[in-house]
This record gives sequence, structure tokens and C-alpha cells, in this order.
Amino acid sequence: MVNLEFRRDRVLFRWGDQKYEWVIEPRYWRNPAIGVALLAILPIFVAPYPHILTMITTANLYAAIAIPLSLQIIGTARLNFGPQLYLGIGGYTAALLNLHFGLSPVFTLLAAILVCGGIALLLSPTTWIAKGLYFSLITLILPLTFLDVTFIYGDIFRGEVGLVGMSPLLSFKKVTWNYLAYFYLSLLLMLVYLWVCDKIVRSRFGVSMAAINENEDVARMMGVQVDRYKVFYYVFPSILSGIVGWFIVHTFRTFAGVTYLPLEFMTKILIIVIVGGRAFLYGAIPGAYLISIVEDSLRAFGPINYVLFPLVLIALIVFLPRGEGLWGLYHKRHHRDYYPALHVRRD
Amino acid sequence: MLRVANVSKRFGGLYAVSDVSFSLNEGEVIGLIGPNGAGKTTMLNLICGVYQADAGAIEFLGQNITAMPSNRICRLGVSRTYQIPQPFQAMTALSGVAVGVINGKKRPHMSLSDAALEASYYLEFVGLFAKRDTLARHLTLYELRMLELARALATTPKLLLIDEVMAGLNPAESSQALEMIWSAQEQFGITILWIEHVMKIIMSAAQRIVVLQYGKKIAEGTPQEIAANPIIIEAYLGGRYAKAE
Repeated sequence: MVNLEFRRDRVLFRWGDQKYEWVIEPRYWRNPAIGVALLAILPIFVAPYPHILTMITTANLYAAIAIPLSLQIIGTARLNFGPQLYLGIGGYTAALLNLHFGLSPVFTLLAAILVCGGIALLLSPTTWIAKGLYFSLITLILPLTFLDVTFIYGDIFRGEVGLVGMSPLLSFKKVTWNYLAYFYLSLLLMLVYLWVCDKIVRSRFGVSMAAINENEDVARMMGVQVDRYKVFYYVFPSILSGIVGWFIVHTFRTFAGVTYLPLEFMTKILIIVIVGGRAFLYGAIPGAYLISIVEDSLRAFGPINYVLFPLVLIALIVFLPRGEGLWGLYHKRHHRDYYPALHVRRD
Repeated sequence: MLRVANVSKRFGGLYAVSDVSFSLNEGEVIGLIGPNGAGKTTMLNLICGVYQADAGAIEFLGQNITAMPSNRICRLGVSRTYQIPQPFQAMTALSGVAVGVINGKKRPHMSLSDAALEASYYLEFVGLFAKRDTLARHLTLYELRMLELARALATTPKLLLIDEVMAGLNPAESSQALEMIWSAQEQFGITILWIEHVMKIIMSAAQRIVVLQYGKKIAEGTPQEIAANPIIIEAYLGGRYAKAE
């Protein structure tokens, strides 16, 4: 009735008419499942060190910003140099509404989505008008402008000190539990983003998106509704990064424009996208973890880390193989996967 | 089917196309010839909506397409190939063609695998099925041209605009390409507007030929009429040859 059979590469399990098989050869393992499992059991090893737990929570959030950014870079065929703008908008919307009007996190989430979506929709025509470098310049300036606004209207935004005391998403009696809960929530957020974006990239829309990234004019000539797609791929990732801002507000319970809006933060996210694997979605995760670890370990060197950090990043970009980032180390050439080529300058 | 009426287009002070009119009937193969810089490719770009005409009107199947964006023109059934192949470099041949299958007309419920199945039909048709998983940047010139043809056919065109497919191909390849275009016309029943520099091919292929020079239409007629026309001999070879004839 019950029969267990061991083959070279798989275990067969028969029960009545049913047959189950489990492939034991590593190259056939479902790699995403392994990755998720590894990330899920990571806290077991680092739980005693809240400092490291915070670091990997931050890494998850970095990845949660970098994944939609990758989608945006491919879908609009333009390199966005200001991914942190919507993080700031979403974060400030949630924080201000929560502090001044006492809205619960559920409503602030809705508000953050609406505000980010609205502003992104207003700004989305820039993806039609501005090409290549000009788009990058415009997006570079916007978050810096917003940062200035937080200083000018300091009584509302509290640009220098930041807003504090927002209501938490979850609160447990033990502080360690809080850290753990926030790690798992951030992991969930990141994985949901990865899943959603991956679904898009692997669908029929992903193929059209790749065509837009490769050559907008030819794609348009083949019937791709380029303008419509570009609006979507600008607005949707913007909303996703706005939600990350909301998440930061309600977990860290402090939000300052001066942390998230300056160029420094933007560089970090872009480096994650590039070092991770040239806007390849999965690459964002190893990239984010690597960058957080490097950032954290260099902190021990004191003020010199501001010099060391860029040096390490340059070394990473230069020495990783084929310009394909960390994912390139692992990635075997499945040509069916679209491995995006990034061009800042297009004509 | 296609009616081009008094179309003009200028770049700065230069008239690339000025006051050109011609029309295509269903099922015809029309050649568009002329010396370098005569405005042939500009004419093509005007029809597909890359450029907007400054004056005149272009009608396709009774609809005015003069100011339409190219994706809408494509959905009406106009498709083109490029003089310099413009493949999607980092995409496989199959997914490049699948883009055309998915977007060429309204197909709201087509999944990627269905599109790949249909795309593989077009790849098989042009003889590139074995290269379906090769990145476009690794294909040869001939293969690229065939990929362009497959991509254009995948959008299910009624009118195909061909821009110098033979340029850079050796004789064996160009006769293969010619055969491919013939069988495409036969199988899919498309009308073709064909720009070509190789006279031997266009003279045998086209039923009617339109000749452009300096952006103006200087002649139109059957290949025999065109070959005998002294104005065209003058345009191509110079005045001395025209007199010697």
C-alpha cells in the first residue's frame, strides 16, 4: 500500500494510486523557496543581537524600495535618480495624519497610497517628455526640493529633528518580540513586492515592458501602448515605495526627511539595484543585504567610513563579473529571463 | 487601401518629402525607389506615424491616419521593417516576436505562453525556429532581417512596409529573403510597399513603381514604363546617359 522508493535523484512515495516525488538533486530545488526559508530562519541565529536584527530589517526595507525601482527602471526605460521621493511623501503623509488627526495605521496606509498615487500621476508625464539623462536630472532634483520644503516649513515637517511618537503597528511586552515581529513584517512586505513585481515581469506585460526598455520607438511601432504603460510603471512602483515610507513610520516610530531624502540614501538604493544585478528583481535582495552589512561593519571605523563606503561600492561594481552584479554570480544564462540592459543616455 | 495625398514634410528648410501622392490597392506590391536622400524612408516614417506630415493627408482603409500615434496605426494593420535592423538586443528571438503577437491587435486574454506559441509559428515561417532562444544581439544580419520580418508579420498586418531588406545580404541570402517575402504575401494576403535599391529585384517583384527624387514624385508606372522613362534614367545615371538612349 505505502511504498517508499529511493532513486538517484529523487524519492518516490506511493500511497494507493497517488504518487508523490521529491527531487533531492540540489539543482532541481526550487531556489526561491530555499531563499525564503533561509531568510525566515535567519532571526533564530541573530535574535539575541537586536542590533543585527534591526540591520536586516533595514536591509529588507532597502530591498522593498529597490524591487519596485527596478520595475520602474525597466518599465519606463529611464533611470530614476530619486526613488526616495515617494518614500518621503508616503512617510510624511502617514506620520502627519497619525500625529495631528490620530488616524490609525490602516487609514494612514490608504492616505499614503492615495497621496503617492496622486502625486505620481501628476508627475508621470515627465516619462513622456524627458528623455534619458533629463529624466534622471528631474527625478534627482525632486527629493532634494522636498527636503528643502521640510526645512522651510519646519514647524510642520520638523525637517532637522524628525517626527516622533507615531502609533506602532504592533506592540508586544517584550522588546525582542517587537524586533522579531518587525523583521518578519518587513520580510513579508519585501516578499510580497517581489512576488507582485515578478508576476508582472513574467507575464505578457513583462514582455512588452522589456520591449519598451530595449527600444521605445520600435515597441510603439509594434503596437505597444508605450505611453499608457509608462504611466503605470511610474505610478505603481511609486505607490509601492510610498508604502515602505508608511511602514517605516509605524515601525521605527520616527521619521525625518533628513534621513531618507538626501542624495546619500538615493545612492544606497541605486547601488543596491546595480550591484544586486542590474535591475534584475531578485538581485535587489542580495544587494540590499550586502550593502547593509557593509554599511554596518564600516561604522566601526568611525568617520572614515564615509570614505571607505564608496570605495567598497566602486570595487564591487568593477570586480563583479560581466557587469551583472551579485545576481550575475549565481545567474545561469537562462535566455528566457530578460536580463535588462540599462542605458542612462538614450536619444 | 492606402491613399497618400499631397503629403509634405520638412526638416528645417529642407523638404524631405514634398507634395507626394500615390495610392495602393489591396494585394498589390508597390516599389518605392529613388536615389539616396530622395525621401523614401521619410515617406515610410510618415505612413507609420514616426513623423507627422506638415501638409497633406494619409488615409488607410478609409481612416485618416495622418496624426495618429504609431501604436494605433499598427493596430489598424500597418507594419514595417527597418533598413538598419533594430532588434530588441537583450531579448530572445521568440520573445521579440511575442511582443508583436501580444500588442499587434487587441488580444486582452492572450497569455504569454499562447503568445509564444503563435510567435514560434512566425519564427518557423521565416526559418528561425532553431534560434528562438538566442538573444537578438547574437544573430547575423540575415537572421536579424528575418527576425524583423517575423516581428512585422506577428502584428498581423494588412499592409507591410519593407525598407531595403536586401541591403548587405549576399546573392544567396537575398534570393532566400525574396522567396520569404513572396510566400508571406501569398500566405497572409498582405499588401506590400517596398523600398529597394537593388533594381533587378524590385523590377521583377513590383507591379507598380513610384519614383522619388529630392522629395518629389517624378514618375509612377509599371516596371517596363519606369525602365524606359528618360527622366528616371537621368535621375539615376545623369543627363548624358539619358540622351545616349
